[in-house]
Amino acid sequence: MHDVHLLALIAVLIGVLVVLPRAIRGPTLLDRILAVNVIGTKTIVLLALIGFLRVEHTIAEGAAADDYSRAGFFLDIALAYALINFIATIAVLRYIEIRAGRAKAREGGGA
Amino acid sequence: MRTEKSPVIRYVALRAVPFIQLYALYVLGHGEDGPGGGFQGGVIFASSFVLMALVYGYGTGRKGAPEKITDILAPAGCVLYAGIGLICLLMGGAFLEYGRLAGEGASEAAKHSAHHFGLIGIEAGVMITVTASMITLFFEMARDAHVDHGQDDDDGEDDDA
Repeated sequence: MHDVHLLALIAVLIGVLVVLPRAIRGPTLLDRILAVNVIGTKTIVLLALIGFLRVEHTIAEGAAADDYSRAGFFLDIALAYALINFIATIAVLRYIEIRAGRAKAREGGGA
Repeated sequence: MRTEKSPVIRYVALRAVPFIQLYALYVLGHGEDGPGGGFQGGVIFASSFVLMALVYGYGTGRKGAPEKITDILAPAGCVLYAGIGLICLLMGGAFLEYGRLAGEGASEAAKHSAHHFGLIGIEAGVMITVTASMITLFFEMARDAHVDHGQDDDDGEDDDA
């Protein structure tokens, strides 16, 4: 199972690399937000995989189990990350929406 | 802050709020043996109100956490924290020496469980203060934008998505 998780980890990392140019180059703001959102989603999977790898490592090495060697430890962080990702995306989108609305109101006779 | 028009976001946000709050309590309870604790739990709890305000408008978000209540809760958390510490003092221990809460001459097991209850108690105090402070910070910053532009909160369809 160790190899499967490691392969999945590398695949997800490649996925992040693929969307990275979209986040850097744009060309529009919405492209960047979408790319950052995709990277955030992949980070959740990444965190879960790191948690499982950690557990397997502890078992394989026969090391003493601590808090970090629980899969739940990383899954907790992944859940919190998913939450922040969701709220942050909505917040940024609302900000852009409101800013665009204001710019339009200014052009249309300073209303 | 106008309300969100997209029915998808309205639906998801409304249904996500109770789960976010439940997760915040989970983070609070597992501060000892996992990531989290009072501060993180408080921030997650406050984020549910932020989400509500983002999607359903300033007024609806503030209705869930009125200024009167957050203004009382912020110092109340501090009082809970200091109160547990002072009770430990009164029981004859040091400040925040939770083991003393079990009473004089208690068994090791009773002291151990008293330690956990004391720890959860002060973490709850931290969480209450952080939640109230975060909500106050967010709404005070959002209020300017809300007042400047005189945008409507409610179009009378906030009860469901």
